[in-house]
Amino acid sequence: MERTYSPQKASPVNALTAAVLSLLVPGLGQIAALKIRRGLLLFGSFISIAGLLVWRIKNLGRLAEGFWGMLSKAFERNQLFIGFSIAAIAALWIWISFDAARQTRPGKKYGNSIFLLVLLVFFTFGWQVSEINILKLASDANEAWVPLSKILWPWEAAVTRDTDTVEAGAEILIGTEGTPPPVPEFKDNEPYIRAEPNFGDLSSLDKNNEIIPGTKVTLYGENFAPGMKTEIWWSDAIGNEFQPRYQGKYLSTITDETGAFEVKMIMPYRLVPPSARGEQLHTVMARQVSEVGSLKASEPLLLTIELIIETIFMGMMATLFGIILAVPISFLAARNLMSSSPITIAVYYLTRTVLNIIRSIEPLIWALIAVVWVGLGPFAGIVALTIHSIAALGKLYSEAIEGIDPGPIEAIQATGATKLQTIMFAVVPQMVPPFVSFTIYRWDINVRMSTVIGMVGGGGIGFLLVQYIRLLEYRSAGIAVWFIAITVAILDYVSAEIRQRFV
Amino acid sequence: MLEIKNLTKIYPDGTRALNNISFKVEDGEFLIIIGLSGSGKSTLLRCINRLIDPTEGTIIFDDQDVTAADGSELRLIRRKIGMIFQHFNLVNRSSVLTNVLAGKLGYINPLSSLMHQFPAEARQEALAALKKVGIDDQKHKRADELSGGQRQRVGIARALMQNPRMVLADEPVASLDPVLAHTILGYIEQLNQENHISVICSLHYLDLVQRYATKVIGLKDGEIVYRGSREDIRSMTDEQFKEIYGQEAERVNAGTLSGGIA
Repeated sequence: MERTYSPQKASPVNALTAAVLSLLVPGLGQIAALKIRRGLLLFGSFISIAGLLVWRIKNLGRLAEGFWGMLSKAFERNQLFIGFSIAAIAALWIWISFDAARQTRPGKKYGNSIFLLVLLVFFTFGWQVSEINILKLASDANEAWVPLSKILWPWEAAVTRDTDTVEAGAEILIGTEGTPPPVPEFKDNEPYIRAEPNFGDLSSLDKNNEIIPGTKVTLYGENFAPGMKTEIWWSDAIGNEFQPRYQGKYLSTITDETGAFEVKMIMPYRLVPPSARGEQLHTVMARQVSEVGSLKASEPLLLTIELIIETIFMGMMATLFGIILAVPISFLAARNLMSSSPITIAVYYLTRTVLNIIRSIEPLIWALIAVVWVGLGPFAGIVALTIHSIAALGKLYSEAIEGIDPGPIEAIQATGATKLQTIMFAVVPQMVPPFVSFTIYRWDINVRMSTVIGMVGGGGIGFLLVQYIRLLEYRSAGIAVWFIAITVAILDYVSAEIRQRFV
Repeated sequence: MLEIKNLTKIYPDGTRALNNISFKVEDGEFLIIIGLSGSGKSTLLRCINRLIDPTEGTIIFDDQDVTAADGSELRLIRRKIGMIFQHFNLVNRSSVLTNVLAGKLGYINPLSSLMHQFPAEARQEALAALKKVGIDDQKHKRADELSGGQRQRVGIARALMQNPRMVLADEPVASLDPVLAHTILGYIEQLNQENHISVICSLHYLDLVQRYATKVIGLKDGEIVYRGSREDIRSMTDEQFKEIYGQEAERVNAGTLSGGIA
């Protein structure tokens, strides 16, 4: 297509002057050639790129002395990026100067390819600042595989059996002072353990944090279930139990056919507060855990079901409160109802502004505020979702009101109907489809939001999910994820069905 | 039965839609208003039942001052004046029957009507009205499932439910195929002749005006520029018609269209 340009003003400076001006201050030459917008834009681009580069150099070269020191350290740390940035900024500088010279020629219009270079530099900075490292996606993939596989197939953790524990313990005196505790009495048909010696020192740390091994102890056990794994546990003076390790592995053994065992161990390291020095009795225990009875739902499964129900109800209640409060507000935010007088127009703009502000704050942030307001738990989540729903539904409803056809209203008025009759016969039927549609849409959003709102303490399954993830219980977390996915899928289907019926 | 005296309507933006209009409508008349779009036809019709409040002037309907009426008084006047619209103005999502029953709203107890409860006689009457316009078999369909011609018949049935003394028809055939124009206007004429309902109708086609009018008013820029009787309009020439409609107007032969699709 042929394009015509309006005649341009002749440049008051010649090409050389413009080029020199732009070399001094990038963009100044263009301004002198009366291409003021172009000059300002190039100046702004150049300055922001230079500023970004200085910031990155300071960031990468911190701890080094002086600008040149920082620059050389930054270059050392990321040669490609710093090298490219400096080359690009120099090229840009020269190009701007060249461009200034060209802009002095009258009548001709030059393209904007120079801004492509500017964009390229900005994206390079974006890449570097956001620490993008594509290689990591491949190199560390195996790290992700363990939690991911547990989350994808968590059902081993969904069922459990009751356990039966066979246990015996023997006391050990810590330190060389005091009387060693009595050796446990041996009884037929009762599990029995004794330690030899039954006194000694715990492992400790020297100044270089190297372990100084404690006293070697041999444990003798009898009357346990034969041929079964037996774990060794340790209980300190205040009853804290832990499973000591030997050469990095948890101590355990397998009993012989008479139910006896013999295990050698080094007394474990235990941080003992200075105030507790003196005579202390620890206990060493042998424990056989066996599963009995039939399969039953595990605690994570039961908790997940409980909380997913809570989540769905949170979404429902928030939607209900949202509808109740959004309907009257939506009338205030509908232009066609509020345009009759300056006061109502002011109310309209006020309502719209408040709704927009509320809507622009995410439900998660509202939940943080609501938790302070009404305390932890599902009610805080409902408050947060309700606030956001009012704003979102208020806007959607008011737009539905603005969109109604005035024709039927006129027709019903003309029959001699009262105002209320006109609303019931001409307004309400037109509002039902958009109201139902928007409400279901919002219900959908609210249930999905309430699955995450628990992460900030707003109740629902999100609380459980984030807890399991922090405890690295990926299987339990996986159960929660599965339930969320199933719930959202069912919800999608149900809301599509309802919408089809009503609209 | 209707007398309009010095009617003027100025919209808030300053547009003078009607300027000092005066005319009378006698019992049983079929008054047709002609004029270009924007000449004030719709405003005039809507001033008569006060869907639009006139700025100045008086409207006397059945010895009652419409311009002074308010509240329930106005509603009682409105229910005696049926109205038919260019775009039908049906409630699309409601059934045909509900749309027709809505014509009875001025007569029945407001409270029970809010729950969509209508007396049995009203239902009988609605079915009769639908039968009269030939679409009683469509009564359970949603209004937006009907064709344009059928929808306008629902509009007529709704107006009929008011037992009106007068019907205002605002370009009732303008959004329909010319073929359907005679069908729809035929029903309106039937109301006029059999039920002795006065009709005020705005139209565009000279052929239709000549066929149905007993009296014609021409509007241009909110003023009456032509008044004619049945005989005057029969002998109206294209030149006179162009004077009202401006130089570009052509005679549109709707009559022959409806007569024969070869």
